[in-house]
Amino acid sequence: MSGTGLDMGPVLSVRGVSVRARKVERPLLDQISIDFAPRSLTALVGPSGCGKSTFVRTLNRMVELTPGLRVGGQVLYLGQDIYARNVNPVLVRRRIGMVFQRPTVFPISIFENAAFGLRLVHESNEEIDRAVAQALQRSGLWEEVKDRLDEPALSLSGGQQQRLCIARALAVRPKVILLDEPTSALDPAATQRVESTMETLKEDFVLILVTHNVGQAARVADRVAFLHSGRLIEVGPTADILERPKEALTEQFITGRFT
Amino acid sequence: MSSPVPDPVRDRQPIPAAAGPSSPVPSAPARAPFARVLSGIVPYLPAAVPAVMLIIIVVALVHASGFTNFGLQFFSLHFDPPVDQWGIAVFLIGSFLVAVPALFFSMLFGVGLAVASTAYLPKLVTQVLDPFVDLLAGIPSVVYGIWAFIIVAPYFGSTVEPTIHAYLGFLPGFSGPTQSGGTGIMLAVFILTLMALPITTLLIRDSLRAVPKDLWESGLALGATRWEVVRRVAIPYARRGIFSAAFLGFGRAFGETVAVAMVLGSATVLPSSVYAIGNTMAAEMFELLDSAYGNSQFLAALSEMAVVLLIISLVVNVVGRRFISRLYKEQVAGL
Amino acid sequence: MAADLSSTANSILFDRSARTVWRIGFDRWIGRLLPLLFLVAIFPILSLVYYISEKAVPTLTWNVITSTSPYGDHLGVAIVGTFELYLFATSLAVLFGLFGGVAVAEFLPESAANWVRTSANLLVGTPSVILGYMGYITFCLYFGWGLTFEAGAVTMAFFMTPYIFRTADLAFTSVPAPIREAALGSGARPSQYILKVGAPIAFPQILTGIFLALAIGVGETAPIVLTTTASVLVPQNLHSPVTVLTALIWENYAQAPSTGLQTIAFQAAFLILVIVLVLNVVVRVISTIYRKRLEGLYQ
Ligand SMILES: Nc1ncnc2c1ncn2[C@@H]1O[C@H](COP(=O)(O)OP(=O)(O)OP(=O)(O)O)[C@@H](O)[C@H]1O
Ligand SMILES: [Mg+2]
Repeated sequence: MSGTGLDMGPVLSVRGVSVRARKVERPLLDQISIDFAPRSLTALVGPSGCGKSTFVRTLNRMVELTPGLRVGGQVLYLGQDIYARNVNPVLVRRRIGMVFQRPTVFPISIFENAAFGLRLVHESNEEIDRAVAQALQRSGLWEEVKDRLDEPALSLSGGQQQRLCIARALAVRPKVILLDEPTSALDPAATQRVESTMETLKEDFVLILVTHNVGQAARVADRVAFLHSGRLIEVGPTADILERPKEALTEQFITGRFT
Repeated sequence: MSSPVPDPVRDRQPIPAAAGPSSPVPSAPARAPFARVLSGIVPYLPAAVPAVMLIIIVVALVHASGFTNFGLQFFSLHFDPPVDQWGIAVFLIGSFLVAVPALFFSMLFGVGLAVASTAYLPKLVTQVLDPFVDLLAGIPSVVYGIWAFIIVAPYFGSTVEPTIHAYLGFLPGFSGPTQSGGTGIMLAVFILTLMALPITTLLIRDSLRAVPKDLWESGLALGATRWEVVRRVAIPYARRGIFSAAFLGFGRAFGETVAVAMVLGSATVLPSSVYAIGNTMAAEMFELLDSAYGNSQFLAALSEMAVVLLIISLVVNVVGRRFISRLYKEQVAGL
Repeated sequence: MAADLSSTANSILFDRSARTVWRIGFDRWIGRLLPLLFLVAIFPILSLVYYISEKAVPTLTWNVITSTSPYGDHLGVAIVGTFELYLFATSLAVLFGLFGGVAVAEFLPESAANWVRTSANLLVGTPSVILGYMGYITFCLYFGWGLTFEAGAVTMAFFMTPYIFRTADLAFTSVPAPIREAALGSGARPSQYILKVGAPIAFPQILTGIFLALAIGVGETAPIVLTTTASVLVPQNLHSPVTVLTALIWENYAQAPSTGLQTIAFQAAFLILVIVLVLNVVVRVISTIYRKRLEGLYQ
């Protein structure tokens, strides 16, 4: 979208990130380094409790909301360390959006949900209307809700709510969208719709998808990263990781899931 | 209404009638012979205690009032026992004049305190500070009263009221002469604010705590500040609890008796300004019961005032409790 | 850095537009200012405790507290009166509240139980002056007891019962369902379950309920003042007049300081404050222990 030479480098570059909890010997994340290129969808897989959520939460400084966690290392967004002293997390989160495991629509109308982020910065009403319509179209929800934008968002089905959450994140025009198990609370049909939404979104955004479902990674991801006990074991193109993993741990995890 | 707060009654599963094939427990009510029906009722009887008590209260008040004075006269401004004038409007209005501003301030501070402890302060600090607010509920009203009358009132009379008069005197209601003693509407509002504050704060705090963590975080993840999440997400989500807080806080302020009787000045006149003295229904009822001894019409008039007060507090409580999802709230007096 | 391509793309991270500065600054200042509101609660408490102690403590000798002589400046009569009246009232309230609460929790069908619970809540929300009127009309006039110890005590029992009722109900309904079902499923009769299984689990919470009701009740003034007559003697029997601490405050707070009666009011206020505070601490201690125990049950 920007049309500059930025497409060359990574959008997000994680350099030796560690997260430690107070009074816990082992770090929750141990020296993680990984780059995220533009227009890519990276799936983060790993056993439960390996630190996937913690990792994506370090990417938009959400991790700081948990008392007692300390972050080390650098997360460079277009070359700028988002943990630098003069960077405000509130602004970081406008560039790096997030979608949660359960749909988290606000108890307001569908339209106001989608417009939430824009209202904060005083955009004009026409701009908000346009951005909301666009975001709802991109999240594949527009056709279903265009006639009922004023209804409460909680009247939508779970899958629709989740796509509304995606639209809400898109509306503020971020570059990166973090998705933490966005389909684990949805039924198969809704899951399928969210997956196809993700596939169209990766044309324009950097998507980082946490999933416990290797099948989902296989369907939508360009690249898979395997996390285990807070360490990044292996990362590579989806086919390579799923079919020809280099590390024994990765293979165990993947075969364990497939059989 | 779903609430993350565990509700023991709703969460409890019904006990299976026949508890498995191995236990030969007869299902008692079905097979009980007629003679045992009576003994079957006995265990249920004590359960009626609160309902019976409520009925006794209503019957006693209605009986004593006999609806002797009810009618348009009863709601007039003219209250003068020696000439058989029993209008309660002065006290009814007086009650609202102190309870409404007290509610306003206790909601304002209540929201502020609840937001501070749920959105801004670390848990450790909250654990130290919140009990102070709860402690306000534990102080007996007569103790508030003596403190307000002896310690606070002179300060109000000498400093607070003249200052407010100097700065806000141009506003209607703030212009009247200040009382040197300091008792009056303003002092009563001050005391009632303190007395309603623990209730409003507790209820608002609880309902803000019930906002799912995911919801806070999704607000922040969209680049909102904490305050924006509070205002646009948490408060709308918690609106029912806040609504309850307003009603129950009002009930507390409206029905308060002794502290008001000590600081409001006990005057049977409509207050002309915020510095003026006046009286409320509860305080008037409390102070005059003595004088009604042997005068059945006086007692009837006071009992009717009690009926009015009871009806208002019942309505306020019924409405206020509609949205409290927990079984009971007990940490604070008057909840 | 300004010439760097990425820093222009990054401009949003360093957005210093008026709007952004305002948003972030506002949030920061709200975060600093709101906690100051705690002073609204803390300052009056400190002032109240300080001034009441200042007026009461210097003259509060052991003799003042213990002497029950009808002559002179002492609180003994009111302390004994308070103790006896609330002992009586609490016993009655425990009797009614406990049986009622257990019956609601264990026997009543849900629909009826909710009606009863609503009545209990409404009683708690009823202004205490109304309770005083009820007591005066019912006990003093209708039953012909007059303004006596018994009328005051029964009225106070009325006042305290709903609090105890609610905790007893709550305590028995929060017995973990598996434990309850195991007991009833293994053939225990309801009464056996209540006494042998439910009561030990519910006991601490009920105890906090009783202390809480006492803490709230002992600070009440209106119901007592309306249903008793003050006395310079300790209560002789149920028909005696009686003075309690709160009534002593009410009667003397507005007396001229020179009479010394105002000091008695402050001493009574100090004592009642201490009593209420101690009861509240007891409630907190028991409920902390109790919470640990209940957590243990669920493990
Ligand atoms: N505040 C904390 N203090 C200490 N340990 C924590 C804290 N938060 C999380 N952990 C631990 O960090 C590890 C990683 O947690 P995380 O939620 O990131 O895992 P996950 O991979 O997302 O798991 P899941 O698949 O179950 O969502 C877990 O073992 C968890 O117990
Ligand atoms: Mg997770």
